[in-house]
Amino acid sequence: MSLLCDLQMRRFYHLPNDTAEVLLFLQQYSIDECIAHYGEDNREAITGYVDFFVSRELGFIDDRILPELTAMELTWDRFADITNVVIEYQETIDYSGPFFRELLDQHLEGLEIRFYQPVALPELRELLALFSDSTLRHIKLVLPYERSLNIATLDELVKKNQRVKSLLLHSSPEEKLEKIFSDSVPVYYFTGEINSCMACGEIRPNHFTVNTELFTESLRFNSCLNRKLSIDQEGYIKNCPSMRENYGHIADTSLQEVLDNKTFNRYSHIRKDDITVCKDCEFRHVCTDCRAYIEDPQDIYSKPLKCGYNPYTNKWEEWAQHPMKQAAIEWYGMAEIIK
Amino acid sequence: MMKEIKELPATAGSSFPTKNQYPVMSKKILILSQSYLESTTDQVCQWMDYLKIPYRRLNGEDFFRFQQLSDLPDNTATAVVWYRRKIAHFPAEFSLKQPDFNSQYTLKRFLVDEFNGLHSFLFHSIDAQKWLNDPLSEKNLNKLQVLQLARRLNIPTPFTEVVTTKTKIMALLEQYPALIVKPLSECILLEDNERRAYKMLTSTIEQKSLGAVPETFFPSLVQERIVKKFEIRTFYLDGVCYSMAIFSQNNRKTTDDFRNYDNHRPNRTVPYKLPADLEHKLDQLMKILRFRTGSIDLMVDMQGNYHFLEINPEGQFGMVSHPCNYYLEKKFARLLHQSVLHEKEIHQQPENKENASPATVFSEAE
Repeated sequence: MSLLCDLQMRRFYHLPNDTAEVLLFLQQYSIDECIAHYGEDNREAITGYVDFFVSRELGFIDDRILPELTAMELTWDRFADITNVVIEYQETIDYSGPFFRELLDQHLEGLEIRFYQPVALPELRELLALFSDSTLRHIKLVLPYERSLNIATLDELVKKNQRVKSLLLHSSPEEKLEKIFSDSVPVYYFTGEINSCMACGEIRPNHFTVNTELFTESLRFNSCLNRKLSIDQEGYIKNCPSMRENYGHIADTSLQEVLDNKTFNRYSHIRKDDITVCKDCEFRHVCTDCRAYIEDPQDIYSKPLKCGYNPYTNKWEEWAQHPMKQAAIEWYGMAEIIK
Repeated sequence: MMKEIKELPATAGSSFPTKNQYPVMSKKILILSQSYLESTTDQVCQWMDYLKIPYRRLNGEDFFRFQQLSDLPDNTATAVVWYRRKIAHFPAEFSLKQPDFNSQYTLKRFLVDEFNGLHSFLFHSIDAQKWLNDPLSEKNLNKLQVLQLARRLNIPTPFTEVVTTKTKIMALLEQYPALIVKPLSECILLEDNERRAYKMLTSTIEQKSLGAVPETFFPSLVQERIVKKFEIRTFYLDGVCYSMAIFSQNNRKTTDDFRNYDNHRPNRTVPYKLPADLEHKLDQLMKILRFRTGSIDLMVDMQGNYHFLEINPEGQFGMVSHPCNYYLEKKFARLLHQSVLHEKEIHQQPENKENASPATVFSEAE
């Protein structure tokens, strides 16, 4: 199958390869020429495709090809060496030190703060206050569900800290979605427990994101780890909490040292086009990828362990049950977690 | 035509602090902007931080913290100025304590004039050639003059007239199937007593709508209506045209004016390359007006002909940059940087003694 990505409207269309072929042919030829090329028998199919594209506002019909409608340049760039940060919160760690200040000077795009343990509200407020003078754009909070964190409390918290753009409450009694702060901030209630980073790295269609920024970044860089940084529960600096190697402790390391460390950047250039199986997958440039948990832990170019999609059969399967994955599940010691 | 729009909360968007991380003497790039709802300025500044280009961002809000005229940026410390915005709202403590329908407009207008009196002093105190766009040319920009200039450069423009009578409209409708009426100045926003906001948009006059036209009326700008295939928004950046086609014809709501956004079905916006000849003429037009940056609006009719509409020199370019992946914010940062380097070369020549420092102008009055 092929994927047609509408980068502006942030939608994708899963298309048979034949449809994609016709679409590519139409880049240079008229509809009549296309029908002549593929034969009268295919007229209905071709006009059907064209009607579909037009109805989705993916194109319009004109009496000539307009070369002025040039292809978009698929370059990617960003004004920060680090764009996204994940913190595994630990109350004994000081998040206001020099490493943190350097990090906040980075014009970060997003910050995810994961709480595996319940946190007191004043402590949470104090933590969020650290970002009030930064250019950080959004914060996602992952918190364990607690009765005291009711909607009114969360609304108040978000009102005071408008960078908080979404919340996930794990270990909730029920699965539901609420909206706070004039319906602009979603609160996801999730019944599963998130008590370690091993819950991360699942590849699922509802995680696929279609937009120019992520698409173009994935053409050249790793969509999971490029310009990303994490601070784990012990305060060690990592590419992602789930990776084993660290690049020092926030108490005695400068951000510049980490950025200059070649091994820190070694995953950045692993594109989806370089990864076994993924390179043939139509979802490769809308996929979140994962380099922490992979099918063959000895081969960094192997497919994400927690992906159940087979691009050769176009079928989604339960990855955790797959016989080929059991060795890696064992290796990562996650058998307990995924039950 | 007035369309109701949702009122924005006063705190919408995040505030971008004015950074003072560079010593005064190295502040060669001056950016005049505001602290809220300015993602375009924010992103240019973020690129400059990343590229380690020093700059000084002066928000309109900062003028309320100055203690004396010499706190304003001066000519010698400034190599290049990008004037993006003045200020959207004055600080809350300067709002009217008791709004009164009869006087509030005059009072608000007075405060705006007072603020402008201070702000536009910079137009005079900092040499005109240091501004990306000549500030006085920008301030005095006239729609009719721009159309006249465009015509002189053989840039196709729609038939344009300013009329005061229905008779004249009727005569024009003999020649053109439909006319549009739009402001000679700028579209305004209005608020009713329930604080609902209304914005002014372009609207159409045809035979069937003539009934609503009075016999005589305030001088009004009319243009032949172009049946458009799509619109083009070009961002002009120092000689280069970055264009975008806007497809709004499908949505009935936006047929006359794409600013009448449809949030459920946004317009398709894609990269576009204007013919080289037209780009060359637009470049000439911008150079005559002494603008190094600005937005240019054009239309393409059903036959594929281009029609030049207008220029917005302070145009915001995020809406072109992002959908077309042009990275204009980065290019803009680079342009500011180059302008400083260029200015340095000039300054190696002996300084012109006639350029008195602006602060001395006021020394006698103290």
